[in-house]
Amino acid sequence: MKILNLYPVLLLFAAAACTERIDLTLDESYIRLVVDGGISTDTASYRIHLTKTADYFYNEPTPRVVNAAVNLSDGMNTYPLTETEPGRSGVYETDSTFCGQIGNTYTLSIDLESPIDNRTTYTSSCRMMKVARLDSIQINFQPDWGPEGFWEIKVFAQEPGDEVNYYMFHYYRNDTLMTDSVWKIPISDDVYFNGNYVNGLTAVFINNENSWERPYPGDKITIQMSGITREYYDFLYQVQLAGYNIPFFTGPPANVQGNISDGAIGFFTAYSNSWASTVAK
Amino acid sequence: MKFFLSALLVFFFLLSTFRTIADSEPPKKWTISGSIHDRSNGEDLTGATIYVAELNTGTVSDIYGNYSLTLPEGTYTIQYSFIGFESTKQTVVLDQNLTISVELSPSAETLREVEVTSEQANRNVVRPEMSTFQMDIKTIKKIPSLMGEVDIIKAIQLLPGVQSVSEGGSGFSVRGGAPDQNLILLDESTVYNASHLMGFFSVFNNDAIKDVKLYKGDIPPMYGGRLSSVLDVRMKEGNTKRFEVTGGIGLIASRLTVEGPIWKDRISFIVSGRRTYADLFLALSSEQALRNNKLYFYDLNAKINYRIDDNNHLFLSGYFGRDVFRNNFARMSWGNGTGTIRWNHLFNKKLFSNFTFVYSDYRYMLGTPEGNNNSFEWNSSLRDIGLKGDFSYYINTNNTFRFGISATYHMINPGVARGIGSETVYSEVMVPDNFSLETGIYAGNEQNVGERWTFRYGIRFSLFQNIGPGTIFHFDSLYNPIDSTIYPAGKFYNTYFGIEPRLGILFAIDERSSVKASYTRTNQYLQLAQNSTAGTPLDIWFPASPNVNPQVADQGAIGYFRNFRQNTIETSVEVYYKYMNHVIDFKDFAELLLNDKLEGEIREGKGWSYGAEFLVRLNEKKFGGWVSYTLSRSIRKIPEINDGNPYPAPYDKPHNIAIVANYQFLPRWSVSANWVYATGNPVTFPTGRAEIGGKVIPIYSDRNAFRYQDYHRLDLSITFSSKVKEGRKFSWDINASAYNVYNRHNTWSINFVQDNENPTITYAEKIYLFGIVPSVTFNFHF
Repeated sequence: MKILNLYPVLLLFAAAACTERIDLTLDESYIRLVVDGGISTDTASYRIHLTKTADYFYNEPTPRVVNAAVNLSDGMNTYPLTETEPGRSGVYETDSTFCGQIGNTYTLSIDLESPIDNRTTYTSSCRMMKVARLDSIQINFQPDWGPEGFWEIKVFAQEPGDEVNYYMFHYYRNDTLMTDSVWKIPISDDVYFNGNYVNGLTAVFINNENSWERPYPGDKITIQMSGITREYYDFLYQVQLAGYNIPFFTGPPANVQGNISDGAIGFFTAYSNSWASTVAK
Repeated sequence: MKFFLSALLVFFFLLSTFRTIADSEPPKKWTISGSIHDRSNGEDLTGATIYVAELNTGTVSDIYGNYSLTLPEGTYTIQYSFIGFESTKQTVVLDQNLTISVELSPSAETLREVEVTSEQANRNVVRPEMSTFQMDIKTIKKIPSLMGEVDIIKAIQLLPGVQSVSEGGSGFSVRGGAPDQNLILLDESTVYNASHLMGFFSVFNNDAIKDVKLYKGDIPPMYGGRLSSVLDVRMKEGNTKRFEVTGGIGLIASRLTVEGPIWKDRISFIVSGRRTYADLFLALSSEQALRNNKLYFYDLNAKINYRIDDNNHLFLSGYFGRDVFRNNFARMSWGNGTGTIRWNHLFNKKLFSNFTFVYSDYRYMLGTPEGNNNSFEWNSSLRDIGLKGDFSYYINTNNTFRFGISATYHMINPGVARGIGSETVYSEVMVPDNFSLETGIYAGNEQNVGERWTFRYGIRFSLFQNIGPGTIFHFDSLYNPIDSTIYPAGKFYNTYFGIEPRLGILFAIDERSSVKASYTRTNQYLQLAQNSTAGTPLDIWFPASPNVNPQVADQGAIGYFRNFRQNTIETSVEVYYKYMNHVIDFKDFAELLLNDKLEGEIREGKGWSYGAEFLVRLNEKKFGGWVSYTLSRSIRKIPEINDGNPYPAPYDKPHNIAIVANYQFLPRWSVSANWVYATGNPVTFPTGRAEIGGKVIPIYSDRNAFRYQDYHRLDLSITFSSKVKEGRKFSWDINASAYNVYNRHNTWSINFVQDNENPTITYAEKIYLFGIVPSVTFNFHF
């Protein structure tokens, strides 16, 4: 459903409305643990970021949570994570030989040095979903969408019809990740094409005005398609919506639902990947 | 159900006996009946006063201009009067039943203004109804408007107890109720979405409208199906005397209305159209993206009115409107269509009836242009077919008995989305249609007891049935679907029954002041799945069902009414309390569109609202308007929302002031102004932040724990009119208006934005819709 793009209506509307920055005084917030990170089917070193929440207008990087004991388990084996700069970074990483297996459920357990919200242990679990094989991708330019035109990157794949699947797409230009922030990541469920041959679904839209992200002739363009859980799909959707309040389209704002135990915020995700590349003309 | 059937039997029994009772009345009393019309154009006059000075009694004409009055034998002076018209007196010798139809002339010196005439101008004091407000189109046309488009709903929003839901929008909340709790009727057909252009304009073209009446409470038993209010909009019947053309040219829209007799004094018609051309301005824009947009709406109203004879009157009326939006990305259209066939029949001098067939249709389409493998189209519709019979029986001067029956069949198609073209990547996604039947029967009496007391007591029985084919999902306690039951076509698989008492008391202290009290219970079986405060065209109405309880409201109100200075100043104070059960809200991040398990997104709870409404209304010759102040609260309590704690409803605005004034300072010049003030809308703001994937994620306060800044706005307009000359048919006026004169940037929404340069910095950004908006409109009439 979320693939239906209401952007054009917003675009028109934005032309009529005016915005101005305002000063607001907000209440103080409570402190919670924030977990952010995940693993995939590629052999690599994966990072989990541990931070704390802060007041909304804190306007500095939120405090890091250091010296925690972080472990990952697939039910058989346990993989300890080590803090990249012990006592300083709050970033915990796996061994570089780590590789997730489709079908496994991974559990992340966190033991804190000092309690947050009166607790020192938190856990989270995520199942590693399968992903369809990406056959190919295609680049297409729509010159009359928006003032400068839009680039579409279309994907071709056989969608398995046996279950409801959720997808996340990453876009690389010359092997550099362009979807490098959570709000840029396109997501889709398969409601509209469950079991179909996906014959050119537009996975990524790039505004031609964006000179950093747009493809140039000769660029190697890669799409990474990932199979994600429904919970992660919902989480990404909610994160992308969070903070926006367009009275026409959004309901009352609400806190995003993660998968960390005991009231902690954030998500620990596991996903599988498939890729396809092409050269921009 | 059994009870309902018995009630139905009693109803038909009553119907069959009334004729005989009516005819066998002892002949010591006689009935005067007839109808009252506007002499200039033949329009029925609704609410005109018939006053018998000798007995200090009287009645008012009904919405078709008909009246009936039963008096003891004698000689009487009967005065017929109506606001803005010259009253006439007739002396009658009443020794037999009489039919007296009267035509009143608009008062010459007050062609352009509201004036209250004569003795019975204290209607607001002596009529046994409260919490209502009637406005004729002349009054509405004087209110300064956004972009010069005079609008009924914007006028309604200036009344005490009525809150606008968002800036410039057509949604309104009555006494703390939700916008979908208002029954909006256009010639008795339900209008499901009264908005054009995202709500900045309503669907009512003022040139085609005669008058409008809002019931905020004390809803007569004739009406049912919505909790909070009834907005009854009546179209003009068309001039039965001569051809007339009315039109207007504004900055964003033009209007043209033609009306006249087909058969003089017998058949008349009116056709009225309006179209906006805002998109023509977009074409001048320097931005390519805007130039390619098409955005307009149009309305078409038509009505035929046939006075067959004194006892039979036939009306055919229809409305059709569409909004169209199209650019290279997307196309969208939506709109209402309504149709009414009405037969107004007088069985005899005391029993009047009205049989109505209504059809209503609301639909929308959203899609992308064809010819792409991502092209898709999404359609949704809602249709009603209804039949009604309403009866008024004027038993005697002290008793008026009204009863009736109605049945409406609802057909809802919540949505079908499918890819278009042979290369589409999309399959069809469909939310199955649902069908239901809503039936109501009612009876109520209005009884005068002595000189001072009037009692109104009535009851409405309502019945709501879901009819197959239908699929009902069963949900566990966490609202996860477990399984479903499929019902075959034609099966009545779920029934709800409601008993809705409606009571009112009037105590007239003297001719200038009275105390009124009322109690109303209302049931609502159809509601809107809408999570946002501004109206979107993507409406999904869903019925009560095994998973969704009907909403029920109880409202009590008491008021004091007092007039001053020969009734030119009307004042009132009303206090009310309303308790609503099974009000709906939605879970966090609810998915309302194209969701076949929509019922799993709904959360039911309780709501209550209370308030005090103060109104001073002025009807001087040259100076008119009103001042209203409303002090009110509206609270919701839903177990799964806000941890089960009570929270303010989105339209909870404790203080609300509206000042509406117009002044004719020279014969050809008049000015109007309105000023509105309201406490800021409640809103949920973030109090904390978490960093995830390079984004600052807000952590929110309790639901609606903060408020926007207070809202206030001043609008002004000045009108210059052509000379009024005897025998000259052509008249015109030119109106210049400004919306939001002191250019206040009222908040429409506040977004929290992450700085592009330094992503750890966030700031609040206010969106406001309108600065000062000037406009000019030229109106003509011949």
